[in-house]
Amino acid sequence: MKNYALKWVLQRITATIMIPLTFWFIYSAISISKMGYDEINTFFNSYINSILFYVMMISMLLHSKLGLQTIVDDYVTSKKISKNIKRVLNINAYILMILITIFIVRNIL
Amino acid sequence: MIDNRPLSPHLSIHKKVLTAVFSITHRMTGIGLSIGSILISIWFLLISLGPEYFFYFEMISQNILFKLVLLIWTIGIFYHLFNGCRKLYWSFGIGMDLKTVYTSGYIVIVLTYYLL
Repeated sequence: MKNYALKWVLQRITATIMIPLTFWFIYSAISISKMGYDEINTFFNSYINSILFYVMMISMLLHSKLGLQTIVDDYVTSKKISKNIKRVLNINAYILMILITIFIVRNIL
Repeated sequence: MIDNRPLSPHLSIHKKVLTAVFSITHRMTGIGLSIGSILISIWFLLISLGPEYFFYFEMISQNILFKLVLLIWTIGIFYHLFNGCRKLYWSFGIGMDLKTVYTSGYIVIVLTYYLL
């Protein structure tokens, strides 16, 4: 994707999605960290929790991928290195997204 | 690849004014939070792998260092969140004059401090 305007808009959209979700996310992350294994599984058996968590994680990964690539554009002068770092960031983000998707689907089903 | 996106001014040629510090802190917390998002994913990988792997997480989370990192991470989230809100309304061209920029910058610091 070479369209920087589209990336810019996407960055703003994911940011707006995450503003309200962040408060919920921190609150539930703190409560999850105090739970045992079985309690965590019951937490994710709820559809609302799973969907909110999924939306949060996907927006977070997209947002961080776009943000990091912008930083690379700004500070890495070598075209070749910057291209490679951006590729690694892309692959990393997609792997983590697939991982989160598998996790959520397994817990809901 | 031809790319003509305007780049951000590099740190070394910037005078250390407060607005520049705000901006670079936003980026640094952004990098930190990205590393955090990888760690969160690993955490959930451990949960989905089963109780025997989850045991490792429980072992690490007892550590005081873990709690310290979590605290710093939460500060980072709040800073990034509030400064991000500033950047969002800047995108619409609102509140761009120097006085408002400084005032909203101070508000960000105060909010981050009080939400802890």
